[in-house]
Amino acid sequence: MTSANAEMFQASGLNKRNERVQNSYRILFGLMTLMLITPVLLILGTLVAKGGGVISWEFLFTAPTDGMRTGGVLPALLGTIWLVMVALLLSVPIGVCAAIYLSEYAGDNWFTRTINLAIINLAGVPSIVHALFGLGAFVIFFGFGTSILAASLTLAVMTMPVVIVATRESLQAVPQAFREACWNMGATRWQTIRRVVLPNAITGILTGVILEVSRTAGETAPIMFTGAVFFTPFLPESVLDQTMALSLHLFVAATQVPGIAEEVPFGVALVLIALVLTMNSASIAFRMWLRGKKKW
Amino acid sequence: MTAAQAAALLQPAPQYAIDTKKLNLWYGTFQALYDVDLRIRQGMITSMIGPSGCGKSTYLRSVNRINERLGYVRIEGRIDVMGENIYDPRVELIQVRKQVGMVFQRPNPLPISIRDNILFSHRLHAKGGGDVHQGTPDEIVEESLRTVLLWDKVKDRLKRKATELSLEEQQKLCIARLLPVKPKLLLMDEPCSALDPKGTEAVEELLWELRGQYTILIVTHNMAQARRASEECIFMLMGKVVEHAPTEEMFVTPTHRETADYIEGRYG
Repeated sequence: MTSANAEMFQASGLNKRNERVQNSYRILFGLMTLMLITPVLLILGTLVAKGGGVISWEFLFTAPTDGMRTGGVLPALLGTIWLVMVALLLSVPIGVCAAIYLSEYAGDNWFTRTINLAIINLAGVPSIVHALFGLGAFVIFFGFGTSILAASLTLAVMTMPVVIVATRESLQAVPQAFREACWNMGATRWQTIRRVVLPNAITGILTGVILEVSRTAGETAPIMFTGAVFFTPFLPESVLDQTMALSLHLFVAATQVPGIAEEVPFGVALVLIALVLTMNSASIAFRMWLRGKKKW
Repeated sequence: MTAAQAAALLQPAPQYAIDTKKLNLWYGTFQALYDVDLRIRQGMITSMIGPSGCGKSTYLRSVNRINERLGYVRIEGRIDVMGENIYDPRVELIQVRKQVGMVFQRPNPLPISIRDNILFSHRLHAKGGGDVHQGTPDEIVEESLRTVLLWDKVKDRLKRKATELSLEEQQKLCIARLLPVKPKLLLMDEPCSALDPKGTEAVEELLWELRGQYTILIVTHNMAQARRASEECIFMLMGKVVEHAPTEEMFVTPTHRETADYIEGRYG
């Protein structure tokens, strides 16, 4: 009797096997996570190690000289900031408004489903195809020439699906009960959106915008034909100017300039990543500030 | 003429807050309400009981026209609220929602401060004319919270988020936020089913406080609650009204077999 009870709470063979299986899965998942962050750390580490040496105020704030072998990246840095900002100004209002319409107003019918399908497909179009579209539409047809405007429009078209999808998802994450509460008090759709839905979705929307910033700043193909140039000593002054851009400059410095010091392309890449991280941090800070505020 | 009949004659004729005539409602091809004729006495608490899917929530949701949001709902018949047909095309939906407040099963305060929750509806309607509370925002907040017996508990944290309150307090807040726009009717869809017995008791007490000033129609699954907290009771089954009688009468001497079976718990 006693011996039977003593075994009751001991691990059985099955328990032990389950335990082993469970441990091996945990190790597998942990290893995968490690593999995920290893390239990130390697990239950042290599860039800092190889390119950190050239970074100086002079590198950031002067134009390239001697066929881009010496000097800095100022025109490319400013050009990328211009391109990203103009693209954001164009795509965020349109994308957010479209997402609000699709999520809050449009009914679930074949028309909205078609639009949703189109958005998903638009997100899957390769960037070089967007580049050709931008060349045909904005540079030639609308006659903007190769300019910041044409390049930013191309970038905007390319990144709009990201904004729409992110915005729509964060709108749909707002509990339906909040909307019902508002409607039942006699709030119109717009009052509901403005006072309850948007304040609760804003953080998610900004996350979408942050994603877009990262993507826009790094894109090379869409701006190559539409507004970015290999080299110009002039800083952009309006959206109709051509400009250098960090991503294209990196490509040029890495492959097209014979006799360039090895650390220069790494330095350019480091500046590009730092710029993206800075813009992301700014958006995150803005997001936290909004969250801290009770109303906006 | 008996004494009872004579007394009845001396009473003023009963006033009806809701007068429903031949209401039929379909969700797509499924008919959820069949020829519902209901007259809800003004200033009283009326409870609706019946097994799940009997149409009591559907009826409730027809009275503030929230059902229409689902595109596939079709409605025939009429519902008069305070003598006006709310399905008349000239009726403004926003006004219906203002006059007919709704409280849900799951408390749904907005994720803003307690104070802003109370003022939300008032801010929507204050400039639109019609009868709303005329006090300053502070007065409105205090009076509404006092009415729902919540003021003393929350007066020091009006700026805190309403979602931090306990479920019982949230539900009381959801009732309180309807009051500043002076609704005529309060519809409650199982308002206590997410609450513990103590919270349930507190909300029922509140219903008695509000009685007289507001007409209250409450859907409940809790037979004891219907018996404790209402004056008239409606029993529905399969989309039809089976019995509508003073609560005490219905529970003691139900006139229909189905009612008797249901309140004795033989099905449900």
